[in-house]
Amino acid sequence: MKLIEAWHLSRTPYREVVYRSLAEERGRMWWGAFGRSHFDKEAQGDVELTQRALRIAKFDKLLVAAFCLISSTMPFTSLFYGSRVVGLASSISLSLVVTFGFTVLYAIQTLSSFVSAESSTLLSTLPLSKDDFSRITLFSFIRSVDYLMVGSILSQVTLVAYLTTSPLATLLMFVASTMNGVFAVTVALWFSRLFYRNLMRGGRSKSGIALRLVFILMWGSLLLGVGLLLSIPWYIVPHLEMALLNFDQVSSLFFCILYPFSAGITIANLVYPTVAFSAVLTASVAVIGYVILAWVAGRWSLETVKRISQGTGVKIARVAAKDFSIKTRSSLLGYIMKDLRISSRNPATAFFFALPVLETVIVSLLITNYAMLKASTILVATATGGIFALLMPLALLNAEGTGLEYTKTLPVNATRIITSKALISTATFVPVPLTLLALAFLKQLTSPLVILIPFFTVLAIASASIFEIKLFLASAAKGRIAALARDVEKLISGAIIALIPEVAYAAAYFVSFNHILAILAMGGAAVAELAVAVYLLRRS
Amino acid sequence: MSRTSSLTFVPLIEASGLSKQFGSVQALADLDLRVMPGEIYGLLGPNGAGKTTTIKIIMGLVEPTAGWVKVAGFDPVKDSIEVKSRIGYVAENPILYESLSPRDFLEFVASVRKIDRGAVNQKVTQLADAFDMAQYFDSPIATLSMGMKQKVALIASLVHQPPILLLDEPLNGLDARSSRLVKDLVSLHAQKGGAVLFSTHIMEVAEHICTRIGIIHQGKVIAEGTLDQLRSKSGGKSETLEEVFLKLTNEEGEVADTSRMLGEAIFNK
Repeated sequence: MKLIEAWHLSRTPYREVVYRSLAEERGRMWWGAFGRSHFDKEAQGDVELTQRALRIAKFDKLLVAAFCLISSTMPFTSLFYGSRVVGLASSISLSLVVTFGFTVLYAIQTLSSFVSAESSTLLSTLPLSKDDFSRITLFSFIRSVDYLMVGSILSQVTLVAYLTTSPLATLLMFVASTMNGVFAVTVALWFSRLFYRNLMRGGRSKSGIALRLVFILMWGSLLLGVGLLLSIPWYIVPHLEMALLNFDQVSSLFFCILYPFSAGITIANLVYPTVAFSAVLTASVAVIGYVILAWVAGRWSLETVKRISQGTGVKIARVAAKDFSIKTRSSLLGYIMKDLRISSRNPATAFFFALPVLETVIVSLLITNYAMLKASTILVATATGGIFALLMPLALLNAEGTGLEYTKTLPVNATRIITSKALISTATFVPVPLTLLALAFLKQLTSPLVILIPFFTVLAIASASIFEIKLFLASAAKGRIAALARDVEKLISGAIIALIPEVAYAAAYFVSFNHILAILAMGGAAVAELAVAVYLLRRS
Repeated sequence: MSRTSSLTFVPLIEASGLSKQFGSVQALADLDLRVMPGEIYGLLGPNGAGKTTTIKIIMGLVEPTAGWVKVAGFDPVKDSIEVKSRIGYVAENPILYESLSPRDFLEFVASVRKIDRGAVNQKVTQLADAFDMAQYFDSPIATLSMGMKQKVALIASLVHQPPILLLDEPLNGLDARSSRLVKDLVSLHAQKGGAVLFSTHIMEVAEHICTRIGIIHQGKVIAEGTLDQLRSKSGGKSETLEEVFLKLTNEEGEVADTSRMLGEAIFNK
């Protein structure tokens, strides 16, 4: 079979993979008929749903690729900080990190369905040779990240060519970008296999639950890592400059060896040969090492894809149940437990559980530099944490997936569903006020009352979560399948609601310059908002 | 079955003039239906006849375009909680929470249905043991075969001891032993005063367990009664249900012609 033929044929299993991941992760499609007074063919037709799912997939992929492309060019603003060589080295490194992060995060969402091997079931019934079969499966795998990889390689290579006019630097950038893509796909594939294997193992052993928790935290760390690296121009550039110009410290060696700084340093030195010789030598040797590693990683990925296509990718061992006892809870707690379980076992939503960690770290980082805890500092820190918590309701709604079809047959109303998700979302925010309370013991406060700000925000987050979910259900009831833009719409609404009490605090303070009045205004706004939210909830 | 004993003379499921239009497709047209306590009503019909739509309307999952339904005296749309707490439902293709294990899933269902822990544990243990689920009870539902998923859905439909069972092709994917178990359970449920609406396209099943059969064709119940009553309606005495069905739906001659034509087209070189 010709390669071009295999590429065309790979479209079918690829669409199946995408559809499966969407079916699981974009549960909104199954919310279509929830709470509707009129059920029509449009909301239930499988063909229509499939077409819509694939349209969403294409839109998502294009959007992520465009966002990745823009993000990969942004770091080149580092060229305006410090010396040219440091600017180029740091911008190349950061651009590689950003595209790596985006590719991993996006790929893991579709690859989880890919590793289940069911995508190739359709092909396995056709009279194809083993080689053709593997080739088609490989191409369907590549299709998952094609826009992202091609887009980021093109943007990085073009930018380096334009900024340096050095053919050698451009060639090396091409090697580094390709290598970066290979690393990203390998990591995503490895993560997907790990997650899938862990998920499929099932059971309720403590070690299994602990492993799932570690995995969730790893997601949080990955996000946090990308976030911290975005501060390269401010935090890392000074250290990088020292490493490049005076190669005499452990940190210098660290930067020269560490990927992707080694690639950035090597390319930058080709254009501006001012870097210390030992630094260039170390970085160049490291780059050769990474090229070899990328080759090995690529081979591993190809082998893994081949094994998956042959149905031997992941071995699942079943554990026989010792008893059939089950633990019943109250109706609401039962729903909460179900929500927690399904969202923590979904690779696309699991990392949302890392939000409390992320929130706490961000809030702590924002505050550690201040000797005194001012009301404004606490307001900013709380709002930042709140924005993360507001991602949770949408993640929980999406995680319902096709299973919602079953829930519709149970004696459960919308109030219970909304309450469950709002409580979980609010709980993810609780570490923020607790962290601030702990910091209040270590730092001075402009007024003891300001420590109440994050606690009132807890109420605002609860109200915002209820509004967000109500909005989601309202749009789903109209038969609209929300695209990413619709999620943004709901997030903005949620953020406005969450910020109203803070705005009330600021407004009251500017008018009266009195913390007591300001905190009373904030408390009043938060309680009033919650009262409206609960009223709406009861009418669900 | 204490709930059902007080309802002995009242139909547990009653539908009148049910119609459902999906765009230009008429899925149901003026359908009437009554299922009394102690009855196993078999809804028999070809693919696309309207069996699943009927069951979904009774369940309150789809609203009819015209007509009304009462389930134990309640309206499935207005009193959906009352209706859903009285029904044990198994869908044609059970769609469950794939990442949950059967244990997690049954915990969720039992909690939402507010069933007492002691009572539910006894039932779950007996049912799971009978359906031979030990190897699969803690595995994610996504990894289970269709038959196993069907068993999970069946257990979930029985744990709250509902007076009404709505079973849409419940034997799909089940092995012989489990099929027999389900048929026996359904019969016992009816004997205890429960009502069963059983949709199937397998004639032997309907023939053996249903006390009354409704033949649905193009959205209408075209014939209803016991097997003997249906035989006499079709004009033959010793016919099987399959023959009765094909005669009543006027498909007997058409099926024979199609088979002959296909045989010539596919197997003749």
